[in-house]
Amino acid sequence: MQILIVEDESSLMDSMVSYLEMEGFRCERAADYCTGAAVLDKHDYLCMLIDLNLPDGDGLDLVKLARENESESGIIIISARNAIEQRVEGLDAGADDYLVKPFHLSELAARVHSVVRRTRLKGGEVLQFDRIKVEPEDRTCYVDDKQIELTQKELDLLLYFMANRNRVVTKEGIADYLWGEYGGDYGSYDFVYTHLKNLRRKLMDAGCPDYVQNIYGIGYKFSLE
Amino acid sequence: MKLLTKSTLLIATLSLFLFFIMGIIFFQVLKNMSLSNLDRELGDLKEIVVDYLGDYDMMESRTIPGIDSIWIQTVGEHVQTEDIYEDTLMLDVKDEQFRTFRYLQFNYEKDKGLYLVKIYKSTTPTDKLVERVTLMITLMVILFLTGVFILNRFIFASLWRDFFEAIEKLKRFENTKEPVILGDQDIQEFDELKQVLEVMTRRLANDYKELKEYTDHTTHELQTPLAVIKSKTELLIQSKNLGAEEMKCLEAINTSVHQLSRLNSTLTLITRIENRQFTEKEEIELTGLLERHLELLHEYIELKGIRIEKDYQDEGQVLEMDQGLADLMIANLLKNAIVHNLEGGTIFLETRPGSLIIRNDGPPLAFNQEELFTRFVRDTRRRGNFGLGLSLVKKVCENYGFNINYSSDKQRHTFTVLLPE
Repeated sequence: MQILIVEDESSLMDSMVSYLEMEGFRCERAADYCTGAAVLDKHDYLCMLIDLNLPDGDGLDLVKLARENESESGIIIISARNAIEQRVEGLDAGADDYLVKPFHLSELAARVHSVVRRTRLKGGEVLQFDRIKVEPEDRTCYVDDKQIELTQKELDLLLYFMANRNRVVTKEGIADYLWGEYGGDYGSYDFVYTHLKNLRRKLMDAGCPDYVQNIYGIGYKFSLE
Repeated sequence: MKLLTKSTLLIATLSLFLFFIMGIIFFQVLKNMSLSNLDRELGDLKEIVVDYLGDYDMMESRTIPGIDSIWIQTVGEHVQTEDIYEDTLMLDVKDEQFRTFRYLQFNYEKDKGLYLVKIYKSTTPTDKLVERVTLMITLMVILFLTGVFILNRFIFASLWRDFFEAIEKLKRFENTKEPVILGDQDIQEFDELKQVLEVMTRRLANDYKELKEYTDHTTHELQTPLAVIKSKTELLIQSKNLGAEEMKCLEAINTSVHQLSRLNSTLTLITRIENRQFTEKEEIELTGLLERHLELLHEYIELKGIRIEKDYQDEGQVLEMDQGLADLMIANLLKNAIVHNLEGGTIFLETRPGSLIIRNDGPPLAFNQEELFTRFVRDTRRRGNFGLGLSLVKKVCENYGFNINYSSDKQRHTFTVLLPE
C-alpha cells in the first residue's frame, strides 16, 4: 500500500502524508526531481502523486519516465497550473488524473482511491462500509444486500464519504468534488444540503443508522460513531 | 478595396479624362489647321479665277481646273467688298449625297458689270485625313493604356512585394508571438517600416512573454501557500480535541481560504484572457451550448424554483471561439441570471440571428448600472461573491468583438450579446 509523493513544498507534503496515512496508505517522500527519478521504480507503487513545478526539473518528465519504465501505478499530477493545455499535456503524458492546487485533502483521498480502483482493481472492487456495499463500476449500492436507488450525485457523494470515512469533510470540498468549477461561487451550499439530505434519508429508510454527523457548520463526518 | 485595384482605377479614370480632353484639343487643332490650309488654297485659286475671268467670257468660265465648282451671279449694286470663307452642303450628283464644301465668295467687276463669285472646294479629302489621324491616335492611346496597366501590375507586384510579406507576417504575429523580421529592403520607406516593425513586435513579444511568465509565477506562488493553508486547516479539523470555539475559527479560515483561492484563479483567468492567450477557435453551436449549461445548472435552477422560457429563433447560430471561453461566457451569464433571480422567478432565453438575449427577474440593482461589468462591483448583501462573473463575460466578449449590453425594467434585467456577422 505504498504511495510515492513528489512535491517540493514540505508543509504541503506533510499534510498530504498525514492525511493519506490516516487513510491507511504508506507514503514515500521525494522533495525534488532527482530523488523522484531515483525511487521511481524502487517499489511497485499503488499511486504516484507528482507535482509539475519541481526545483530541478519538470514533473511531466517524471510521468513520462514512469510510463517508459512500464510502471502500472496510477499517476495523479498535482499542479498550480490550471490551463486546459497543461491538463491535456499531463494526461497525454500518461497521468490518470490532474488535480489543481490548492485542493482539498479529502478530494485528494477520493481521487487516489478512485485511481487505485481503476488502475489496480480494474474497477471490479466492492466497497464496504458497515452495512453498505457499493460497486463503483456498476454504480450500484446495497444495504444488507438489498439494492437501493441512488441518483448519480448521491452515489458520488456516498463514494466521497466512503473514501474519507471517519474524517471531517468540508462542504466546499464536497461542492468542488461533485460540481467542479460549478461548485462554490454561489456563496451558498444549499445544493449540497439537498443531496446530503436525500442520501441520508434513503440510507436510513433502508435501515441504516445515521452515519453523517454535522460538525459545527464546517462540514460533515461519515462514521459509525 | 485592394491597393492594386484602387491605383489601377485611379490611373484609369485620370488618364481617360486626360486623354479625352487632349483628344478634343488635338481634334480641334487638326481641324483648324486643315481648314486654314483649305482657305489658303482657295485664296490661291481666287487669283487664277480672276485671271481666267479677265481673259474669257463669263459664261464659259464654268469649268476651271482645280476648282470643284464655281458659281457666278450678276448683282446690280455693290453689296460687299470683303472676301467671305464659309462651309456649305451641296448635293453630289454622282451618288446623290450631300457633302460638305468650303467656298470663297468675292466680288468681281468687269465691263461695268458687277459679279458675285463663289468658288467651291470639297472638304471630303481633308475630313478623311483628320478622321484617319484621329482613329490612329485613339488606337495608339488604347494600346498605350493597356501597356501601362500590364506594366503597372508587374511593377506594383515587385515594388510592394515586401509590404505584402510584412502584412502576412504581422497577421501571423497574433498567433505565433514571434517578432516580425523582414528580409533586406532596397526601398528606403520599406526599410524604415521593417525596422519599426521589428522593434515594435520584439517589444510586444517580449512584453507578452514576461506578462505570461509573471502570471504563471504569481499563480504558482500564490496557489502553493494557499494549498498549504487549505490542507493544514483540513488536517486540523480532524483533531478530536477541538471545541466549538476553535471549530468556528477554523470554519472562518476555511471559508476565507476557499474564497481566496477562487478569487486568485478567477483573476488569473481574466489576465489570461486580456493577454489573449486563448487563440484556438472552434465552431460552437449556440443552442447546444445553452442547453448543455442549463443541464449542468439544473440543480440550482430547480432549487430556486426558476422557470426557463426559451425562444430559439436561430437554431443554427454558430460561435467561432475557444471552447473554454464559450463555456465561461454562457455559464457566467446563466449563473448571474440564476443567482440574482427571485424565488420562483423566470429566465427568458432568446436567440436571434446575430444576437443572444438573456432576461431574468430580480430585484433592482444595488449599484450604478454603468458599473455592472466592472470588477469587484457587487451586491454587498450577498456573501462569497466577488463581482467578477460579469467582468469575465465582458472580457470574453471583448476578446471576440462581441458587444454586450444591459438594460433593466424595474424587476427585469436583460443582457443582450450582439454577435458579429
